[in-house]
Amino acid sequence: MTTAILEARGLTKSYADKIVVDRLDLSCRRGTVLGLLGPNGAGKTTTLRMLYGFVPPDAGSIHYAGKRFDEDRTEAKRSIGVCTQGDSLDYDFTVAQNLLIYASYFRPRVENLEGRVAELLDRFDLAEYADASPHVLSGGFVRRLLIARSIVHRPSVLFLDEPTTGLDPSARLDVWELIDSMRAEGLAIVLTTHYMDEAERLSDELLVIHEGRKVAQGEPHRVIDTVLGDHVIIVPRGEPAREEIAAWLQARGAEQVATVLGELRVPVTKQDLVELTARFTEATWQVRPPNLDDLFIALARRKGRFR
Amino acid sequence: MRGLKSLTAVADWQSWAVFRRNALVFLRHWRTAVIPPAMEPVIFFVAFGLGFSGYIETLEYRGVDINYATYVAAGLVAYTGFGTPYYEALYSAYFRMFYQKTWDGILATQVELPSVVWGEILWGAVRGMVNISIVSVVIAVFDLIGLVDVKAEFLILMPFLGFIAGCAFASFALIFTAIVPAIDHMNYPVFLIGWPLSLVSNTFFPVEPQSPALQALMQINPVYQLAETARGFLVLGDPGPHLLGLLGSTTLFLIPCTLLSVRLTRRRVLGD
Ligand SMILES: Nc1ncnc2c1ncn2[C@@H]1O[C@H](COP(=O)(O)OP(=O)(O)OP(=O)(O)O)[C@@H](O)[C@H]1O
Ligand SMILES: [Mg+2]
Repeated sequence: MTTAILEARGLTKSYADKIVVDRLDLSCRRGTVLGLLGPNGAGKTTTLRMLYGFVPPDAGSIHYAGKRFDEDRTEAKRSIGVCTQGDSLDYDFTVAQNLLIYASYFRPRVENLEGRVAELLDRFDLAEYADASPHVLSGGFVRRLLIARSIVHRPSVLFLDEPTTGLDPSARLDVWELIDSMRAEGLAIVLTTHYMDEAERLSDELLVIHEGRKVAQGEPHRVIDTVLGDHVIIVPRGEPAREEIAAWLQARGAEQVATVLGELRVPVTKQDLVELTARFTEATWQVRPPNLDDLFIALARRKGRFR
Repeated sequence: MRGLKSLTAVADWQSWAVFRRNALVFLRHWRTAVIPPAMEPVIFFVAFGLGFSGYIETLEYRGVDINYATYVAAGLVAYTGFGTPYYEALYSAYFRMFYQKTWDGILATQVELPSVVWGEILWGAVRGMVNISIVSVVIAVFDLIGLVDVKAEFLILMPFLGFIAGCAFASFALIFTAIVPAIDHMNYPVFLIGWPLSLVSNTFFPVEPQSPALQALMQINPVYQLAETARGFLVLGDPGPHLLGLLGSTTLFLIPCTLLSVRLTRRRVLGD
């Protein structure tokens, strides 16, 4: 296992007395994707902003390739690429010029810049828009340009803040492919998302945060296991024994009994499942592996309890 | 420490990268960017300078009789030298900062916030140079056909004087850019500060306050110093004490305004 190129410890940030990021630790290695997952307002963007030097943390340390970030920010930033959550393209320039101008904000200068820009336009399918204003781009292509721009200077660490939000399913898949190929090239990628499937499929490691705090961390399927257990059962709304099953599960200590459009969703252990089958012989339900949707629903429920 | 860094950032390559960006945007559509603003001083010149000349025949300037149009010629250099960077920094920077979110992109690179501010200041000042150059050409033409009487060889200096003072005006404007809550509120810095300041600074008519306090205030007003320096050169070939006054008042403005605008912009853009 190679050492992490990005290493952060105890990251903390408050805005007006509200702690937005609370003692977060994370690290990312070359050629891997760290998925930062959390509901709206969890502190994902703020975490990224501290990591790439947009806002200073109140506490904590950040190291790039073993060097303290605040020791020589400018040098460290040469190897950081950022794709912001909002559209921060430069609408005074064309698509190709956006890449050229962005490269001018880095020193040492990008080698063979013209070639690099042509290569990126080609790879991100932007070549036909090269001389057009970004105004003509659809949402999916704006996102492509933002990502292309973020790597124009050949960084080794890449931050992608919700790279697929607002995209249609096929545009999302395209972005996934691009992310996968950038990982294969050895980039260390930190990605935020609210999409469960995205986090699950793209991340080598997952960090789930909620109200600024770490909820779970590790390999995607393990994270789900720790928070939710082995299985989720789904009891349809028409099932007469629904209430009874819910009560029984709650009595056994199942914490996260969720109702989604009238159907019951409960994470259960193997043992629960065995006993449930023995007890409710007449009832029907489905069993499936837990996914991050279940996790989010569980987190949203916790929110109330923390207050 | 952070303050000193904000000031020395003017020498960083990052500031000039932002400056270059702004200059490239200008060059992309320079026709629309140059012609309308260049017409403004010409219209002023014709309306005020030549219009009033019929009523005000001559004016005494530092012991020399000059016609009113000649007085206004130098005033226009100051009017343009103030207005161009001031409004450029107010509006263009506001659009770049809040509407287009361009700065959010730039600040994710090696460029830090003080450099973004300096990029805007330097660009505003150079934009002033461009417009002053156009005004100077107009004055040279009027001089040639005898409408004004200036020492035309000194017109070449005007853009450079404008650059110096322009840095102060742009940094001053950026304070408002950072604090106006919405674009409509730009009316405050435009009408309550921009307009009065460009009128009471010996631009279109001499202002001679009696009170020593007001007189002192005049001395630290870079618009006034710019007008008088320009006039000194154009009428007498000698700016007198005003060249020093221009440098002094510019410095007096530039340093605190830059520090403040960096700080306020930091708060606004970074929420810090
Ligand atoms: N500049 C700021 N000033 C004040 N509060 C802020 C600022 N930036 C973020 N916050 C607050 O911090 C919290 C976390 O915000 P952040 O943008 O990091 O969340 P997020 O996880 O990225 O959310 P989303 O999924 O909606 O993008 C929110 O409650 C937000 O209102
Ligand atoms: Mg966010």
